[in-house]
Amino acid sequence: MKEGFDTTDCFLVDGKLALPYTYFAGRVGSKFLTTIRDEKKIMGIKCNKCNKVFVPPRQTCDVCMEDIRDNWVDVQNTGKVTNFTVVRYDDKHLPKKAPYVLAMIQLDGADTPLVHVVEGIDLDKAKIGMKVQAVFAKETTNTILDIDHFAPA
Amino acid sequence: MSEKFGVKVEDIFNTMEERFRPEGAEGVDASFGYDISGRGRWKLTVKDGSMKIEQTDDLGGCAAVIQADADTFVGVNIGKVDGTAAFTSGKLSVDGDVGAFGTTAKLFKRFTPPKKELTVGEYVLDMFGTLEARFQTGAAEGLDITIGYDIGGEEGGQWTARIKDGKCTVTEELVPSPSLTMIMKAKDWVELMLGKVDAVNLLTTGRAKVEGDMNLATKLGELFAKYTAPGEEEEEEQELLVLKKIISVNQKFATGPVMGKYLNGLKEKKILANKCRECGRMQVPPREVCALCRIRCDEFVEVGPKGNVRLLDTAYYASPDPLTGETRETPYGLIYILLDGCSGQEVFAHFLRDDQLDRIEMGWNEKKGTIVRPVWAEERTGKVADIKYFEIDE
Repeated sequence: MKEGFDTTDCFLVDGKLALPYTYFAGRVGSKFLTTIRDEKKIMGIKCNKCNKVFVPPRQTCDVCMEDIRDNWVDVQNTGKVTNFTVVRYDDKHLPKKAPYVLAMIQLDGADTPLVHVVEGIDLDKAKIGMKVQAVFAKETTNTILDIDHFAPA
Repeated sequence: MSEKFGVKVEDIFNTMEERFRPEGAEGVDASFGYDISGRGRWKLTVKDGSMKIEQTDDLGGCAAVIQADADTFVGVNIGKVDGTAAFTSGKLSVDGDVGAFGTTAKLFKRFTPPKKELTVGEYVLDMFGTLEARFQTGAAEGLDITIGYDIGGEEGGQWTARIKDGKCTVTEELVPSPSLTMIMKAKDWVELMLGKVDAVNLLTTGRAKVEGDMNLATKLGELFAKYTAPGEEEEEEQELLVLKKIISVNQKFATGPVMGKYLNGLKEKKILANKCRECGRMQVPPREVCALCRIRCDEFVEVGPKGNVRLLDTAYYASPDPLTGETRETPYGLIYILLDGCSGQEVFAHFLRDDQLDRIEMGWNEKKGTIVRPVWAEERTGKVADIKYFEIDE
């Protein structure tokens, strides 16, 4: 801070931002989630041009720019952690109580990772490449938390 | 010949190869027979993730043979007939290993009828073919009626829907003296069902006639679900997810020395402006630099507290307040006040008392607007809301 800078009148004001928010999952996202909810099955979408399988699914291949919305394929409920972090603070919007492992999980049969929570493992035991398996939620909420978490496989 | 649903049995078999899903065939190594009464027999062989379909009378070696009439078979394949219901009612039967047959459900993508504009005749057939399926049991409680359809023209025909005990049976004939008879040409019937023309229009222009119980005629919309042309219903069926949330974010704003001085002034019911040394301009609330001269402003002057309104904005849409998260009621007034001690465009923005929206006169040039004064909050902590609002000084 600059010398002689007068901070007598500096203080903090608390604010609280509230935003009414409507999220539409879209046709592709809705099918992805309702399939998880109703059939306990994870589906992806495959680009027939580059053969990439997207989980979570998307409507357009980001490389080929092909419309791929109808090319649904089944992927496995198992996969491997491609990256992770440990969330160490609590906040209302977070899915679990801290600390927990938030990981990018590439499911078997998919080419892209899905962000989800890994439970049932010591925080310092989490590592890239570990095998995990989806555990479906008993009570569904029409969100990605219809997969409650992933557990070590 | 076209089936009840406008799709041929052959269409289902001929598209099997393109609808085949190798991922659904994983681990399947079997043959399945299809015996469609009056249409022929087909044999499907699945092995190593590939398939073969052939029309043959030899169904030997099949793990299971399905038997059904053409309408049921087509209906199940295009999703218009519930497969389980057809199975339990005996319309569809499986000879052999039922469990093995269940695996065939995963082998193919659902058949979607090609989208094409149907002829009037095809529409009429499809509309009456789907009438039973579109029947709404719940709306028919206690009803025992017959509805006659006398559809004229070459592509027309005569049908009767009998509704009794919560069931609807459609026959291709016109029974004597139905409870209600509808008489019109095939073309008008199709337009009516597709929603291109309304019933009142048809009746008043004489293109349609209704005989019998008119009250019943007004209830038809409840008795039958709206007709949708083949190939158009799938998209509407999908469940779409919408999530509504109010996102709440706690935050802290640092005032800095200049805004801090202004906010601290509010605690003592003082409104502070700062004055530019170079151009003499006042800024309220004060800013670190003069936005025009770009030099630091450190001379603070108390202004107001009264002033005259130069501009009133009436807000009909409110965004959430970033400090409280609350959304204020609309309409509300936002006023630009020339506080005493300020001149020209050195206006200060604040809220107007809610019930005084229509009593404000705006000033311009030398003309003064309505004089207003601040209403201070009882408890002042150094925030913008330390002034609750301004009200007319009277």
